[in-house]
Amino acid sequence: MQIVKADGLEKKFGSKKVIEQMSFEIKEETITGIIGRNGAGKTTLLKMIAGFWRPSAGELLVFNEEPFDSLMASANTIYIDDQLYYPDTLNLKQILQQNAQFYPNWNMDLADRLFNYFGFEANQRHYQLSKGKRSTFNMIIGLAARCPLTLFDEPTTGMDEAVRKDFYQALLHDYIAFPRTILLSSHLLQEIEPLLEEVLLIKDGKVLMHESVDTLKDYAFGLHGDRDTITSWCANKSIIYQKAYSSEGIYVVVQNDFTEREFAQLQADGIKLLPVSLNDLCIYLTNPKNGGIVDVLS
Amino acid sequence: MISLDSSKPIYVQIAEWLETEILRDRLKKDEKVYSQYQLAEMFTINPATAAKGLTILVNEEILYKKRGLGMFVTKEAKKIIQNKRKTNLLEEKVIDLVNEANYLEINEQSLIDMIKKANEEIRKESK
Repeated sequence: MQIVKADGLEKKFGSKKVIEQMSFEIKEETITGIIGRNGAGKTTLLKMIAGFWRPSAGELLVFNEEPFDSLMASANTIYIDDQLYYPDTLNLKQILQQNAQFYPNWNMDLADRLFNYFGFEANQRHYQLSKGKRSTFNMIIGLAARCPLTLFDEPTTGMDEAVRKDFYQALLHDYIAFPRTILLSSHLLQEIEPLLEEVLLIKDGKVLMHESVDTLKDYAFGLHGDRDTITSWCANKSIIYQKAYSSEGIYVVVQNDFTEREFAQLQADGIKLLPVSLNDLCIYLTNPKNGGIVDVLS
Repeated sequence: MISLDSSKPIYVQIAEWLETEILRDRLKKDEKVYSQYQLAEMFTINPATAAKGLTILVNEEILYKKRGLGMFVTKEAKKIIQNKRKTNLLEEKVIDLVNEANYLEINEQSLIDMIKKANEEIRKESK
């Protein structure tokens, strides 16, 4: 079953199109990474799915309903980011209790155990927490709510590495215990990659790719070696990225449509074949067309 | 053990890790292997990825499924893994060797002579 369906989705702020012609579907009980550069439209998309913002055009269905202004969608969806606001009059324990009343699947045992593990105290106030601590507390709410659709927008902001690792472990453990659909946006693709089943790669408000992590891992590879040899090899190939490192040497990332024979021939030509990490691939794919930072600086 | 920097997809690494467990007799024939969820928790990876790793081994007849009970090591598992690693690893190394010889402009006959010589030396040492 599809939990989220977008068809020709669009969002404008004034005359600026932030989301454009977006069509995709998210399968039930999967963990999908929402990946893109700053300003690509990740948060806007997640906020529309959460039902906070109304699309400007196109169709968006969450649990087969338009999420905006839908009580059904808001009871079954939770959106976690670092801007969550809670009234100053409530202490942390009271915030957990309030959330428990709203979300039908809330697991107070899990919330309490994480609360104690991360060293929170009942009478602390949300606004007094440090950036990392606040993210940690919000993450506890996101997990304990056990919403069928859980949206984490940059959930690890400010968390140190040890806490991030704990978070990944807790997320995975509770996902296995209580399967649900999770969308996770993060700049730390390398860290979240093992958690993901699929990646939705966004560029300039459009879906660039929606693939399984394994497919992307095989999508491209790097060629390293003599410039002329590589250039002639890549004449009819789709080049994703290239960088010259000397007058004769070049590194080129190409789409992987090579045959076994071509691979053998490449190696015989003295070309080094290198794997491209998912993180690098996504950076190359979302690079602006008009060159990189080096072109600006030189 | 499971490395993200590796060119190998995680599910392949999971399959190889299980193979090594079988080669080292830490998983014996007809013994139950870890479920996709156990593997997911052990390595902090998506359970669907772990399931793919198990599926590879089922397809290669290293593991077999018992409906409702899980996956188990086949009787031939160890033999299959040994044979597979022999062919794959050795072939790769020979290709590397031949490529290197070509860069150094060593012809095929000299390379074969070198292999023969190396073999003689190894035999002498083992006597």
